[in-house]
Amino acid sequence: MSEVSLAQIEKDTVATMSETTWRYWLALGIALSLVALGGWAWSVALRQGLGITGLNEPVMWGALITTFVFFIGVSHSGTLVSAILFFTRSPLRAAIGRSAEAMTVFTIMTAGLYPIVHIGRSWLFFFVLPYPNQRQLWMNFRSPLTWDVFAITSYVTVSMLFLYMGMLPDLALLARQVKSWRRPLYRVLSLGFSGTDGEWRIFEKAYPIFAGVVIPLAVSVHSVVSWDFAMTVMPGWHSAIFAPYFVAGAIFSGIAVAVLLLSGLRRGYHLERYITPKHFDMLAKLLLAMSLVMTFVYATEFFMAFYRGSKAEMEVFRWRATGTYAPVFWGVVISNSVAPLALFWSRARNHLPTLITISVLVTVGMWFERFLFIVTTLARSFVSQNWGNYIPSWKESFICLGGFGWFLMLFLIFIKLFPCMAISESMQSQHAVDAAVTPEASHA
Amino acid sequence: MSTGTAPQGRTYVLGQFPTGAALVKACRQVREKGFTDVDTHSPYPLHGGDEALGLKRSVVPKVALAGALTGMFGGMAMMVWMNGINWPMNVGGRPPISPLSYIPITFETTVLLTSLSIFFGLLIMMRLPQPYHAVFELEAFRSAVTDGFWLSVAQAPGSDGKEAVRELESVGATQVSVVKESLE
Repeated sequence: MSEVSLAQIEKDTVATMSETTWRYWLALGIALSLVALGGWAWSVALRQGLGITGLNEPVMWGALITTFVFFIGVSHSGTLVSAILFFTRSPLRAAIGRSAEAMTVFTIMTAGLYPIVHIGRSWLFFFVLPYPNQRQLWMNFRSPLTWDVFAITSYVTVSMLFLYMGMLPDLALLARQVKSWRRPLYRVLSLGFSGTDGEWRIFEKAYPIFAGVVIPLAVSVHSVVSWDFAMTVMPGWHSAIFAPYFVAGAIFSGIAVAVLLLSGLRRGYHLERYITPKHFDMLAKLLLAMSLVMTFVYATEFFMAFYRGSKAEMEVFRWRATGTYAPVFWGVVISNSVAPLALFWSRARNHLPTLITISVLVTVGMWFERFLFIVTTLARSFVSQNWGNYIPSWKESFICLGGFGWFLMLFLIFIKLFPCMAISESMQSQHAVDAAVTPEASHA
Repeated sequence: MSTGTAPQGRTYVLGQFPTGAALVKACRQVREKGFTDVDTHSPYPLHGGDEALGLKRSVVPKVALAGALTGMFGGMAMMVWMNGINWPMNVGGRPPISPLSYIPITFETTVLLTSLSIFFGLLIMMRLPQPYHAVFELEAFRSAVTDGFWLSVAQAPGSDGKEAVRELESVGATQVSVVKESLE
């Protein structure tokens, strides 16, 4: 970025907030339509009950829980990647860190809706919180579902604070630089941060600790989500590999979604100077690496199922690859394990349409991968008299699609209100470059 | 302010410097001249600025540790009390107090309290939110968030700041202004 002037960085970032193109309205329109569709379907579920979904004995967890796990997974590439880029002092962070952190916050806000939808009587969701209630009963802290409540509420709180804290210098900047109705907004949000040395010193001390706390938190959250499954005795779920398997899958799907969002941002706002082919090349390499990890995990799962010698487990895995859901299984293998292999070639990595196609495949593939392992285990558990298939109903699918719209809507609103690139950090690296060139006059 | 005269705000003398290094150097010189209430304003952290300003070792790590310990012991104590003492709950014959199964939540509360303590500790230490500061009265000071390096010297109420102006000019400020704190 060294060839871009400071004024240009500021101008381009402010443009993402103030200039609105037809592409933006189109994307927002699609997002809002999906939200309306999903909201309507959910309202039917609230009025008529979960009978409108395809959920029934024996498959009581389906598309809604799949969507929950999927969005929690996507969230992992945001704050986690941003924190890792921070520690590696990567120059990439200024350009992609902010959008990644926002992605985390909004995906968790989306994910959190699905258990609430799934419980049916959604208005009673607060029963999961430990408060002195009229039943004088506390929840069961030995249950992984309760662990999950704590993990996700902590995760969303910490991610929001991390995003806000990182944005504080930028908000102070905007409060001085932007006109119109935005100025009072940024003035209030910047809290009067004036860039004194005392403030910077505390900031520089606190931010690394925060980033350091975020990394293990993100890893713990998806591990806890995996224990929702692995702590049961169900064949295909009860496995020690589940926590690392979930974390790897989370990063994998998160990178794919990050590629899609960044390419959209870049195209929509002409940020080619900041989000460069080099960024996409590195994300593509990461995507390829995670794809190989996932392939290894799939193979390990199958190997262990047959090596361990549990009949029920062997049956679940045999049926997963050859039974009713075999087309889903092979689709998942193709999109998650085979298609990303193309990224071994640098031409594929540097050809954005190819990378976007692979990312879409991975995103869809990872949703179906979660669907597959949740449903096949429940549909094919120990007792053959208790076998049965599940297909999501239309309304249930609409609720899931609504989540994608909801996430996209929040993200689009965010980039209109807040800088999607870290202006202050860009300046810092810019000044460092200038200072190295001309030690005495560090700004042009 | 019990006297009959109208209360006056403090006087701030602001000087702009061409580079961060010049600002740090000027800051050191100004402090050596005996001005105590000196602050730098820069668009990004200045290294070497803190000893020039005479700031002490940061307490941020201690605040974070205090939050972490509170979260850890508080989280564990909450679960032991709720599931083991206040309402002993028998789930599948497991002991009412089963600390191993409390570990995941203990971890989450530790992280949560660490982050909350850093965040709110940060606000308290930075004395934020700060709705008003005299330095923002100066239009040119807007550059402090983009490419300006400013030194502010606070003077007692009623001072005309002449002495500080001369001092800032002598240490190489390119532009010096005086602003009065508004008490409204």
